Parts: sequence; C-alpha cells; structure tokens
Amino acid sequence: MRANPAEYDLVAPRTLPVVLSLLAQEPGAWLPIAGGTDVMVQYSAGKLSARNLVSIWNLSELRKIEISTEEIQIGAGCTYTDLLQHEIVNREFPLLSRAAGWTGSIANQNRGTLGGNIVNASPAADSLPALLAYEAELLLVSASGERRIPYAGFHIAYRKTQLAPGELIRAICLKRSFSGYYAHARKVGARNAQAISKVSLAALGRIADGVVDDIRLAMGSVAPVPVRLTEAERIVKGKSIDSELIHLARATAAAEVRPIDDIRSTLRYRSAVAGNLVAEFLEQLRASHERAGKSSAVLARWNVLSVDKAAEEILPCCGSKSWAREMANRRPVTDEASILAACDQIWEDLPESDWLEAFRSHPRIGESRSPVSSSAQSATWSGQEQQNVGLAREAVKAILAEANRAYEKRFNRIFIVCATGKSAPEILEILRRRLQNDEPTELHEAAEQQRQIAHLRLKKWLTL
Amino acid sequence: MTNAPRARAKCEISFTVNGKPETVRAHPMARLLDVLRFDLGLTGTKEGCGEGECGSCSVLLDGALVNSCLIPALQATGTHILTIEGLAQDARAQLLQQSFLDCGGAQCGICTPGMILAAHHLLHKKSQPTLDEIREGLSGNLCRCTGYMQIFEAVADAASRGAST
Repeated sequence: MRANPAEYDLVAPRTLPVVLSLLAQEPGAWLPIAGGTDVMVQYSAGKLSARNLVSIWNLSELRKIEISTEEIQIGAGCTYTDLLQHEIVNREFPLLSRAAGWTGSIANQNRGTLGGNIVNASPAADSLPALLAYEAELLLVSASGERRIPYAGFHIAYRKTQLAPGELIRAICLKRSFSGYYAHARKVGARNAQAISKVSLAALGRIADGVVDDIRLAMGSVAPVPVRLTEAERIVKGKSIDSELIHLARATAAAEVRPIDDIRSTLRYRSAVAGNLVAEFLEQLRASHERAGKSSAVLARWNVLSVDKAAEEILPCCGSKSWAREMANRRPVTDEASILAACDQIWEDLPESDWLEAFRSHPRIGESRSPVSSSAQSATWSGQEQQNVGLAREAVKAILAEANRAYEKRFNRIFIVCATGKSAPEILEILRRRLQNDEPTELHEAAEQQRQIAHLRLKKWLTL
Repeated sequence: MTNAPRARAKCEISFTVNGKPETVRAHPMARLLDVLRFDLGLTGTKEGCGEGECGSCSVLLDGALVNSCLIPALQATGTHILTIEGLAQDARAQLLQQSFLDCGGAQCGICTPGMILAAHHLLHKKSQPTLDEIREGLSGNLCRCTGYMQIFEAVADAASRGAST
C-alpha cells in the first residue's frame, strides 16, 4: 500500500554536527536519507518501517572530494555524477568510475550517493566490488568522534553492517597507489542500462618480472555480501599466466563463490559466469602486459632517434607535420598513456591549418587514395580503418560517394570520421547529420574524429 | 526508543518552479511529484512506476535530471525546478517537440514529458550526441509504445536542427 506522508517526519539540519547530535540524542530513532534512490523506493511502496527521517542530502561536509598525495577521501554524500565528473577518480580509480557510470540511470546517478550505496548494503551494489579491490577504508563519524576502519569487514552479513547507532559514513578513503595496475570491471546483467547485476567483477592485477605480483578479484551478487575471491587470488599470485593457470583460476573462482537462485539468475549460471569473468580478466591482464612490453621496446627505440627521424616515424599516426615534430620534441616518452596524453595536448593547440593538413592525409571514405600523397603506413592503416565500408553494397557506396561530394562542396575539405568499426550506413548517417553543422561546430567535430584516429593509430604503432 | 513520528504537521516549503517563486504547505515527506501535480497543478509531470525506474516523473532540479517521485518535498527547499510546462516556453524545447512529432517519437504520451526533459538535459551537455550517447542519456526513460528508435531519431534530428543552442 502507498505510504501516507502524514505518518512520516523529515527534518533537514543544515550542518553535519546538528545531524550527529540528533542521531546521538535518540539512537536508532532517525533514519538518514541522502539522495533517496533506495529509501524513497521503500517509502513509496509502504515498506519503510522508520517513521522519522533526517536528511543528509547535499551537506557540504559530506559532498566534497579531498585530495592528498597519498590518498583521496570521497565524501559519502558525493553522487555518482560527482564521481564521474572528477578527474582523479576517472584517471586513477577506473573501477569506481566504471561502476558509477553503470549504476542506474542518469537521473539516479544525479541523486544516488556512494555512502548510500555502501549503507544500503545490497550484495548486488555496483560500486562495492571496486571498493574491495582498492582496499578502501571508511571514516565513520558520530557525535562522540570518528573512527577509521577497512571497508572489507564493513558488511558483516546480508544487509548488515558495522555501523553503530548514531553513526554515519563520512568519507571513503582510497590510497593513490594503483598506477602500475591493470584494471578490469565487468557487469553481467539483463540489459546494459539500469540493470541489477547477475554477477559483477572489479579486478586489479600487476605483473612484475613475468609473474603476477598482486591481484585483487572482487565480486558482487555472488554471496550475501560483496566478496574478494581469496582462493582464486592465492592460486594466481606469484605465477606466470598461462592457459593452465587460467583454467585452474576459472574452476577455483566458480567453486569459491556462494551465489543463490533468485529472480535474476541461478546459482549454476552465476558460478559459471564468475569463473568465466576471472578467466577473461587474466587473459586481458596477460595481453596488456605483452602490449606494454612491445610498446616499451618501440618507445625505447623511438626515444633515441634524431628529431627528424622520430617525427617522420610518427607522422602517419596523424598526418600533421607540426604535430609530429612536437611529439618528437616531447621525448622521452615511456608508456602508452603518456604518448596519448601528449597527442591530445599537442593536437588541441595546433592552428587550423595544421588540422587541415592532417585531414588531407586521409583518403575519402570509400576510396583508397588521399588528396595528397601520404606514407605507405598511413595508406595501410586507412585500408584497415575502412574495412567495413569496403564490405558495403555498391549502391550504398555510390550514395556515400555522393554524400562525400556534398560535404566537400559545403565545407571545402574532405569528410573525416573515425571509421574503425563503423559500417557504411552508419557513416552515411553521421555524414548526413554533420552536413547540418555550422562551420565552427563541424571543424571541431572533424578535429575530434581525427584525434580518435590518431589514438587508434598510435596504439597500432606501439605494437608494430 | 519509539518509532512513532514526531510531527505530522505540514510545513511551508519554498522553491522556484519554472522561474516563479512558490511556497506550498506540504508534509515534508510528500513526494515532489505529488506537490507539483496536486499542490501546483503542474500535471505535465507524470507518475509511471513510482520507484525511479521509468523516468516519467523527470524534472530538472538545479539543472540536474532527477526522478521527482524519489524526492521528498522538503529536500527541494530553495531549489530551482524546471518541469515540462516551464520547458515548453523555451524555443529549444519547441524544436525538440517538433522533432518528436516529425519522427513519430510520441504515441500514448505518458513518457513524453520525461523523454523531452531527458533529451533537453542531454543536449545541454552534448550538443551533437552520438546514437550511443542518446541511448545512454535516455536509458532511464521507459517507453512502451514506440520501440525507442523513433525517439532516438527525434533527438538526433533535434540536435541537427540546433536544439541545444
């Protein structure tokens, strides 16, 4: 039955100390409510047993992210949108930003909070495996003070936490020590958006001297609380990843989880998926290590070339000579992330004439020769990028050629799109939409496409 | 400790709706959705699921897309709320509305106000969204009539006509 608002009270103190003293005066009598994405659902359904609520939404003490050199402290009242918009969270804690991005809908991300996700204590909560993998710590605050505990023990049983009456989570602390790790997050649900997971994985791994020197496998929806797969971790740690180890880790993970049958899935399916997700992670960890090995060899060689030679070698990745020379001047560059960051920064700052030079180095979509002669490497990459267009029916290709001409007539330059993975009809749709752009909008859209092409080509170059 | 409610009294809650300052007398736990519909007569905001899944009750609260069924009225104190009635005054929304008409993006209509608000919110952040970005931006809004494609086309069409500016 629908709840009657007249039977409930809600107060909204303006500061955290007032909230805490209210909670201390009458322990257990007040239920905190932040963005309401869980509490209001129970309330609306008439299933909320608490009658007195205290709002902690938007309290400034809870809605800030504090950065020090060692750690970040995320206020418990930060929303998923806050996390997604935070540069350091995105860069250093990708497992958390991935989880934030697949939690609920945009509207729910604008209201749901990280602290709320923890206290609500669902075994399927999206953000919790990430917190386990990063070995987060929680700052718990009450009128009588603050304590710091590892998040790992916070959920003691299904929907039960260590939170004492009168206590709130103030912040979630993450150590800033994961730059050397490969991070992998995967959610298996019935649909992409807004689904409650059947199984989710947040995993971190690091390889040193050919063996896995650290691994964290954290899963949701496979036990009464989010869990680390300590058995599978133990089996992998200290070993070099080969197919035998992957096989063993898959079986261990599948046997180690304790899922249930429920409306979303079955025990058998969840166990099998748990094993498969661990195997998938290990395969990707191995591949990323091999890629990193190749990239560092390519970069080590490139770093010691003359500026001219270095610029010449990297030119096919973009097509602008100024860009290539600037890239060569940024050396030494030691890893993929740094070279991609340098690429973006230089590309952004180039004048329009250099952008246009890069555009001219590409063939028209559907053709194999660029307006100005470009390197053999660039032509090969163009061929790979336009692979799907080549598969299109002749009629579609003819329409595309016509649309290309219309574009060139309108903007006086060739149409640039990051074609990798796109079919001819998709490209046609994009072209038609962009024909409606005004000149400045279109120039920037083309430049963004060229930036994406450069990223893909740099990655290919690093593993040549 | 008793769990009986402390006070059942209504209180005065003030906010700005569609640019106009409003003060209502409501229970603090009344849903913003009900306050908009019943106290202020703004029935363009619809109730679908009542649990934050369907997006029919979408409004913008201080510029952020939210489900008004999940917001206690008291938490809206001092905020700026934009409902479909307010957005209807905006030329950009009229472009969106025209695109929905042209592309067949509206049928029974119950999801439409939420769809338009979510689309407006998306175009405000990304003026030329890709199809994937449109899908993601509208993923919290359910439609049981159109099968979605016409809605995605309508948003893309509105973007190309400059609905974000």
